[in-house]
Amino acid sequence: MTFALALHGLAKRFADKVAVGGVDLEVPTGSFYGLLGPNGAGKTTTLSMAVGLLRPDAGTATVLGHDVWTDPLAAKRMLGVMPDGARLFDRLTGAELLACHGLLRGMPAAVVDQRARELLDVLALGDADRTLVVDYSAGMKKKIGLACALLHAPKMLVLDEPFEAVDPVSAALIRDILQRYVASGNTVIFSSHVMEVVERICTHVAILAQGRILTAGTIADVRAGRSLEDVFVQVVGGRTATGQELAWL
Amino acid sequence: MAVTPWHFVGLKLRVMRNGLRGQRWRIALFVIGLFFGAWFSVIGFVLFSATGFARTDTSLVLVGGLGGAAVVVGWLLMPLVFFGVDETLDPARFALLPLDRRTLVSGMFAAALAGVPAFATLAATSGLAVAALLRGGPVAGALQAVGVVAGLLLCVSLSRATTSAFSAMLRSRRVRDLAAILLAVLAALLGPLQIGLLAAARTADWNVLAGVARVLGWTPLAAAYTLGLDVVEGRWWAVPLKLLIVAGTIAALLWWWSVTLENAMVGTATTTSGRGTRETPHTSPTTRLYPVLLRGLPRSRSGALVALQVRYWWRDTRRRANLITFAVVGMFVPLMVNIGSRGLIEGSAAIPPSLTTVSASMVFVGVLGGVGLANQFGYDGTAYSANIIAGVPGAAELRARVAGFSFYLGPLILVIPVALALVLHRPGWIPSMWGAAAAAYGCGVAINLFVSVLGAFSLPETTNPFAVNTGAGVTKSLFSFAAMLCTLLLSVPVFAMSTLAEETWVWAGLPAGVLYGGTALWLGTRFAGRLLDRRMPELLSAITPRR
Repeated sequence: MTFALALHGLAKRFADKVAVGGVDLEVPTGSFYGLLGPNGAGKTTTLSMAVGLLRPDAGTATVLGHDVWTDPLAAKRMLGVMPDGARLFDRLTGAELLACHGLLRGMPAAVVDQRARELLDVLALGDADRTLVVDYSAGMKKKIGLACALLHAPKMLVLDEPFEAVDPVSAALIRDILQRYVASGNTVIFSSHVMEVVERICTHVAILAQGRILTAGTIADVRAGRSLEDVFVQVVGGRTATGQELAWL
Repeated sequence: MAVTPWHFVGLKLRVMRNGLRGQRWRIALFVIGLFFGAWFSVIGFVLFSATGFARTDTSLVLVGGLGGAAVVVGWLLMPLVFFGVDETLDPARFALLPLDRRTLVSGMFAAALAGVPAFATLAATSGLAVAALLRGGPVAGALQAVGVVAGLLLCVSLSRATTSAFSAMLRSRRVRDLAAILLAVLAALLGPLQIGLLAAARTADWNVLAGVARVLGWTPLAAAYTLGLDVVEGRWWAVPLKLLIVAGTIAALLWWWSVTLENAMVGTATTTSGRGTRETPHTSPTTRLYPVLLRGLPRSRSGALVALQVRYWWRDTRRRANLITFAVVGMFVPLMVNIGSRGLIEGSAAIPPSLTTVSASMVFVGVLGGVGLANQFGYDGTAYSANIIAGVPGAAELRARVAGFSFYLGPLILVIPVALALVLHRPGWIPSMWGAAAAAYGCGVAINLFVSVLGAFSLPETTNPFAVNTGAGVTKSLFSFAAMLCTLLLSVPVFAMSTLAEETWVWAGLPAGVLYGGTALWLGTRFAGRLLDRRMPELLSAITPRR
């Protein structure tokens, strides 16, 4: 079977530090894949290499059979991306930003207009609002970023920390939209370090720490009856509180 | 334990050191910066101290008054138009700490003093103290040494206060026009000064210059640098008065700085009043993306890229600051060069305007225009990732960027020759001037496209349009300098034509210049575009700010 996203031996080293040390990951078509990992695990680096924003030192990334680095145009057509912390062209209003993204993708103007209006409406961003994206709140920025990634109806969505710093109402809305998107046969992979979200909505999960995949599979297999948090702490390894430290608090 | 200025100095040095760690090219640039600083120090020291050996006091008057004023004006203008401010210590970082205003300002001030430019200035101007020592004995030398230190404090506080105030102005979108006018006035003040100097220098009337220098000596510009002279000439009463002038100016500047600093700390960055809730009529999103003047462009990828660039050159304060600087410098420098050399002030010398000088200043305008694109990707920052993900081809990207930039530069480049030609009463030269400017602009843009792909650097994510990262100031000026040099080389045919074949150039200048510049531009977008296609991820990491 072809995977929606397949990473083989992806590796990246920054100066003297290995950020990602050979990641193998296969994301089945139609899955809702969560990439879990502590801060600094290499999630953003891995996803950046997977979508063609960061050149890997070794390894391959293919999107629905198209290699991201040798056949970028075909791969990028299938792909919707929301990079974390990447600023958008934030001196545009929401509507202008969506129009720009759509036209950059080579979509006809009429389609861009219709979809942009619908997205702005559904995401409660206000079609006629003249606020610049730079003045949006964190939640609104995530929503407009998601709208930009969805606009050209990609088959595969790669989201970096979509639920970070988002209020519960916006988070629920984003979750609903993503679930509907997966239900119609598309694929989502997103990174997070929030267990509850991953546990609630994902079909598959992989745990990444110190640049390596420690465990991956369907959520039921990975959990094996335990809570995802227990699995995570056990796999990643961490300090367990004894109750004695920080007594002065 | 109380927070002292030493903490700030230590913090700045540590931040600088950590910024250099493991970055070989940054270290190299830092060393180059040190080298230039040392060079400036030695040259300045020799110039200033040499006056001690002169037979009369006139040279001391000239060097102290005019040289001192030049140093101060340099500190005022260099950060605004060229180098940017070293924002190693961003005031916003201190917003949450319990520091009172006095501690913060004195600390930031001390940190600003701990830098290569401050040391170089101190070393160069200390030559004045040596000169005063030679001419007037130890007391004169000592007092001038005090003056040199006071002068340095004045320079640093002046540059900090003006950049802080200026950036605060540009930050608030409502006052941006005021900022433009301020810069224009600053540049305009330079004009008469230079014309006066040129006129005086041409007639070699040193007494006129000395008179100007003596007057400057009573202004904050040069008061600190003429203390030794006053002692030498026996005007002891002037010393406390001038010290008072300098101290008062420093106090006022520091107060001004502390006010704007607080604004910078609490972040008045998001002044959106008047925008927010206003609803636009029901135009479609794609229509709204295009500025009204560009509504005729096709609703396509290229059209959207151009619209985006046009929007950004105006809405991004850093880019806008760049445009304003170009407009002012590009208008005033040619005027000053051409009028100044004719000595209009005295009305005496009727040296006719020269086509070579005029063409050269048009080349300058074109070269300066191209430099605006040198770090075009740096302005975008990580937002550029959207274009990579959308798979925009390099050549299309660059063509659109050139078009968007030229939307603003084109009219300016058309208007500047007209203004200059009318002032010079040579309307017949306008076409050839357009040609020279077009040729230089085409070459400049083409060269700077390569610079923008190969030498991009990240800008800090602040709203201060003049902020650059440590070391990046050197990169910026170094790359701009190299690019300007290359462009000048490419513009040699224009000089040659306008000098050797003046008669022909008057009518052939326009078509030849446009053809030459257009060809350079075409080749530039084509080959720089291919380069960009191969380097997109590397470019993105170069412009991603280090967190």
